[in-house]
Amino acid sequence: MNASRLAIDEINQAGGILGLPIEAIVGDSASNPHRARIVAEQMILRHGLRLLFGCYMSSTRKAVLPVIEAHRGLLFYPTLYEGFEYSDRCIYTGAAPNQNALQLARFLLERQGSRVLMVGSDYVFPHESNRVMADLVEQGLGKIVGEFYVPLHAESSDFDHVIAEIRRTEPDVVFSTVVGHATALFYEAYRRAGFDPYRQPIASLTTSEAEVAAMTPEAAEGHITAAPFFERLGTPAADRFVASYKARFGPDAPVTASAEAAYFQMHLAALALQHAGTDRPDQVIASLHDIEFAAPQGRVRIDPGNNHCFLWPRVARLNAYGRFQVVWDPGVRLKPDPYCILQRPGESPGVVAAAPYHPFAQ
Amino acid sequence: MTIEILRDLRGMRVQVVHPPDTEGVALIEHLRRIGCQAEAIWPMEDAHGVATDVFFVAVDHDRRHAIQQFARSFGVNAPTLIAVVGYEDPSTLQLVLEAGAHAVIERPIRPFGVLTQLIVARNLWLQQREARQQLQKLERKLAGQQNVQRAKLILMGTQGLTEEEAHRTLRRRAMSKRMAVEELAVSIISADDLLRSRTALR
Repeated sequence: MNASRLAIDEINQAGGILGLPIEAIVGDSASNPHRARIVAEQMILRHGLRLLFGCYMSSTRKAVLPVIEAHRGLLFYPTLYEGFEYSDRCIYTGAAPNQNALQLARFLLERQGSRVLMVGSDYVFPHESNRVMADLVEQGLGKIVGEFYVPLHAESSDFDHVIAEIRRTEPDVVFSTVVGHATALFYEAYRRAGFDPYRQPIASLTTSEAEVAAMTPEAAEGHITAAPFFERLGTPAADRFVASYKARFGPDAPVTASAEAAYFQMHLAALALQHAGTDRPDQVIASLHDIEFAAPQGRVRIDPGNNHCFLWPRVARLNAYGRFQVVWDPGVRLKPDPYCILQRPGESPGVVAAAPYHPFAQ
Repeated sequence: MTIEILRDLRGMRVQVVHPPDTEGVALIEHLRRIGCQAEAIWPMEDAHGVATDVFFVAVDHDRRHAIQQFARSFGVNAPTLIAVVGYEDPSTLQLVLEAGAHAVIERPIRPFGVLTQLIVARNLWLQQREARQQLQKLERKLAGQQNVQRAKLILMGTQGLTEEEAHRTLRRRAMSKRMAVEELAVSIISADDLLRSRTALR
């Protein structure tokens, strides 16, 4: 939300689009699918809006999309998700599993070891992420030593048996798809249990600067996250974005990959509107397929074949101050492949990641 | 762990037998998006007997005859077939069944649901194929046992053996000739037929 506002301010300060300022109309779905659908309907029917930005959880996106499709609008969705979706009325700017899970698995198997324990919040994203991770680990001839789920709004005590299992099975890595406020509870419990995060890190796709801000630096240190953007990426473009964000929202405001996606997708939309000369969604979509934008993470573009975004996969480790330090960055922009299925063991993830995919080739 | 059928999706050959309109193009694009090797075939006659893994076929009743001919062109080796329908009136439903559809997608075609129908149809087809193979195996086995029974009766009649002795004789002979009991039974039956016909001729 903040990142979208920041982008809108920048666009308006630069003269708006086609000479007109952007005006944001904000609705709060409270991550409730039913509420999200009503908000989307009101925005379209009452306010005549056709371009919508947002949604965090998959359940709200799934609730909103039929409404947007029915009215031929367009949704910009800035969150990493589990893949296996395509709508011609949705632009997906967060990472698909082939842009974060694949790289994380390879990194872990090479640097940490091959015995993996999985723990997640009990909803669609963790189950699907764990399926992908289990395939990747098996493919790298590793072993899943356990798979556990805690309630979406877990309390500290919900992790007791997970901690006990980690102690019993001694995995090389704990792959966590625990989300929301339960994340900090888990990392704190892990710290209290005395595990060494440099020997047995928690690895995640969803633990961002925002989740880390709710932990002590001691609980955060040593753990690993894969994402296309981190606050301390250190490139001039990333530093400029982070500085503007903190100037506007406070020095302690965490700047996450989701915020970066929300920021660049607004700029992408503005460019596409300018390019199309209209806000009619059909023309905006066509323009989006032709343009690139220099996002904080690097240059991004939308794949015309699947409406997902070319992104820059990276892996970072939290240091003693609870800051992400990038530890793996090949400097490569990766094509999105939301329907990526891993092949059988022995075929390397690298081969799969680079597999040709030509949606329009004969 | 990923279900096996999903792994087979990458590179699965899919033929889309559908007029080359926006819906047909959108379906092919989505099939490629999910990783299939999708191609268009039109008119329907061009798809007769084509070797592929899966067909998507436009089933409209103004093409009744063409659809029936298409379905017949495969004989017993019916492919995985997903019907694309715009109506669900009884005559369209009848065509869907005559075409041998394993699943159905509705117009207007939208991406959501195509993967599910594809997976369900493929799974059903694989199950049917396995059941058919199993059935053929059982039929062969049953026919073989009937022959063994007949051969035993012949041995009992011509050589005055008990059933147990006939059984042992068959087993021993088959083993020494290195052939299956069922095979030996067939030769005994044909030899017996030959002898009988010569007796009849005299």
